Amino acid sequence: MMQSFLLLGLPYVAILGCIAGSIWRFRTRRFSYSALSSQFLEDKSLVLGSMPWHLGIFVVLAGHAAALLFPRVWAGLVASPTFLLSVEAIGLAASALAFVGLSVLLVRRLTNGRVQAVTSVVDLVVLAIFLAQIVLGVLIAVIHPYGAAWSTGTLAPYLWSLLTLRPDASLVIDLPPLVQAHLALAWGIVLLVPFSRLVHVFSVPLAYLWRAPQVVVWSNPRRWSSSVAAATVLPARRLFLRGAAALSVGGALLAAGTAETLGRFFFGPRLSEEQQARLDARKLERLRQTQREKELAVERAAQRYIRIATLSELDARKGRYFIDYEMRPALAFLGEDGLPLLISAKCTHLGCTVASELDAQGRVLCPCHVSFFDIKTGMPNAGAPAKEPLPHLAWVLMDDTQQVVASRGADGRDYGRVDPERAASLSVYIAKREERVS
Amino acid sequence: MSTATDPLSSRVARFVRERLPAEKLNARQLLIEKEVPQHKASWAYYLGGLALFFFLIQVVTGLMLLFYYQPTVSDAHASVAAISEHVAGGALIRNLHAWSASAMIAVVIVHVLTTFAMKAFARPRELTWVSGMTLALIVFTFGFTGYLLPWNQIAVNATKVGLQSIEALGQYLPGELARWPTYVRETIQGEPSVGQATLSRFFALHVILLPLATVAALGVHLLQVQVHGMSRGVDVEQVKTERFFPFFVIKDLSVWGVAFFVVCVVAMCLPFDALLPYPLLEPFNPLGSTPDGIKPEWYFFFVYYPLEILPYWVVVAGSTLVLGTMFLAPWIFGRTSRRTLRVLALGAAAYFLLMTFFGQTVYEILKGGQP
Repeated sequence: MMQSFLLLGLPYVAILGCIAGSIWRFRTRRFSYSALSSQFLEDKSLVLGSMPWHLGIFVVLAGHAAALLFPRVWAGLVASPTFLLSVEAIGLAASALAFVGLSVLLVRRLTNGRVQAVTSVVDLVVLAIFLAQIVLGVLIAVIHPYGAAWSTGTLAPYLWSLLTLRPDASLVIDLPPLVQAHLALAWGIVLLVPFSRLVHVFSVPLAYLWRAPQVVVWSNPRRWSSSVAAATVLPARRLFLRGAAALSVGGALLAAGTAETLGRFFFGPRLSEEQQARLDARKLERLRQTQREKELAVERAAQRYIRIATLSELDARKGRYFIDYEMRPALAFLGEDGLPLLISAKCTHLGCTVASELDAQGRVLCPCHVSFFDIKTGMPNAGAPAKEPLPHLAWVLMDDTQQVVASRGADGRDYGRVDPERAASLSVYIAKREERVS
Repeated sequence: MSTATDPLSSRVARFVRERLPAEKLNARQLLIEKEVPQHKASWAYYLGGLALFFFLIQVVTGLMLLFYYQPTVSDAHASVAAISEHVAGGALIRNLHAWSASAMIAVVIVHVLTTFAMKAFARPRELTWVSGMTLALIVFTFGFTGYLLPWNQIAVNATKVGLQSIEALGQYLPGELARWPTYVRETIQGEPSVGQATLSRFFALHVILLPLATVAALGVHLLQVQVHGMSRGVDVEQVKTERFFPFFVIKDLSVWGVAFFVVCVVAMCLPFDALLPYPLLEPFNPLGSTPDGIKPEWYFFFVYYPLEILPYWVVVAGSTLVLGTMFLAPWIFGRTSRRTLRVLALGAAAYFLLMTFFGQTVYEILKGGQP
């Protein structure tokens, strides 16, 4: 009974109380709508307490809010162990900071006479509850770690069930007592907001960050000199603090991120077997290609003849690429006379390799700068970037006994003759030195 | 004071004394007492520093890529792909290198044009200008040599086309001289066609020789800039100035910060390769035909499209003339007014923009077809 009141009743009481109470306080006691600064009474230990407390609690609350309001996004993030560990570490560090700050503030409230004069009971209650809440939170983080992960499946749906007016405590009812106490105390704090100094969360003087500095001018002549000093020192100090804070936070984030990425960059890839196999296969393919090129070069250096294809494999419309004796690309077609037609494939303009398929006018295209070459004459089209014709290559035809039966010189003259019935069995070669059969 | 009758040695000595005055070569004069003019064109004073910043990014990312890149025809493409796919942060580093290279060249072009328009080459800043022009040439050579290293279709074929255009010079030379451009091309390539030897020397140029040359030229350039200060840059008699250190330096660093942010975001979001169709990024295949759409990088468009449109000799003669004029600007334009120089620079900028963004259109209008 008590448990279900704390988990289901108290939240609504707290939220409604907080809203209604805030409105009531704003309407009836508007000028108390703040934390009632005691800086004038004591400012040394206030800085040592207030700064760490607010910095710490801000980070902690931001983490809570992110996990509870965007549980799905958050769950995706904390799936990364690096992120989860970082978040837990940052959370603990911020809690410690807040704890230290709060302790300083509590001691100040209890020991400084001037501050005590303006301290109400509620102020002390607030301090005590916060101290208890932080201790509970740290205990949870230590005893039941990785709350950043497990809360997304328990506390976040619970909170959303409350907010969507379908209260459901089943997700949190079995959580450890520590967590339930933390929850109940949290709702208590929400309820306390309008009735204590905590209202200042609704009236944070953000404008202080960019408004012009306030110059305090004393009417007492004794103080004139110090008022001038205040006017020159204060804005400088504020600017310096703001800049230093931004720079150190940004710098720390930047350094951490850069160091992490750099570390992993130089650590190098650790590939899975499958990835490694794929990478090795790719490299092997390139090595084979390099090997093929080298073999071609060696073959051309050593061999008197290089075989292109059998005559029957040649096509009249689609050329066959081969590499000539100078390691330049060339194309082999079947000419209209039934004999091979070998032509250089290296564009005479800027050396691109021409395409192998003929267009309707019997021309091949160099794709780089659009020259069309007639393969019968080798001539480029009028107005093409290329001016020189593609040269024809000499060839020899050999039968299967390696006897040269016919050849064509680089000048285009044919020697020997081909028996049409045996033509299919002949092979086309290029020769290192020109051959002339009679 | 100086007369033509002085012996050459004393004229040289006077020239050097004026450019490197011993009384100014100390930290106080070089840093503390330097003043930067403030006027409408002051933004141009940031361009040199910005180019330097992009160069520093290139050095750092380039060194990081060196840890994984393998400069052989069989491994180059696979190693580059492995950097992008498998090395943590590798894709970002590679993109950063590519984007910052383009940014550096763009900034260098604007820097050259603005300093020209502001007559920043005038006496005694001749050495600043000449070392700056040398740096600009080095930067373009960086681009040309770096382009080949991934060894993909567009890289190798565009390099082939680029080198082949040297050989085209042969047609204008008489007799045996006609073969010389071929020798030059093959010396650059290291073998008759673009292959392993070419990759090795482009790699050596890109990662050792050019960086060393840059450091040397940059040393002269920066020393001269600091010794003589920024040129006044405008015709106004009285200009306001601000102290170089710390005020201008801090602004300079803020510009660097913004530039780094921008180039990082772009490198994270947009792979440089994404601007090219995939077939051009396949590994180079020496036995296949050249794929469609082989073009140099955008920063060579201003010379590439004229090569496509005009007769070769016109382009060669024109670019030799322009390059020579640019190097000798301090002596050629010594008496030209800033207004005239500004018109010339604006014309050059318009030409750059036209060729870089609308080169294709210009080509199609003049030639009626795809290049």
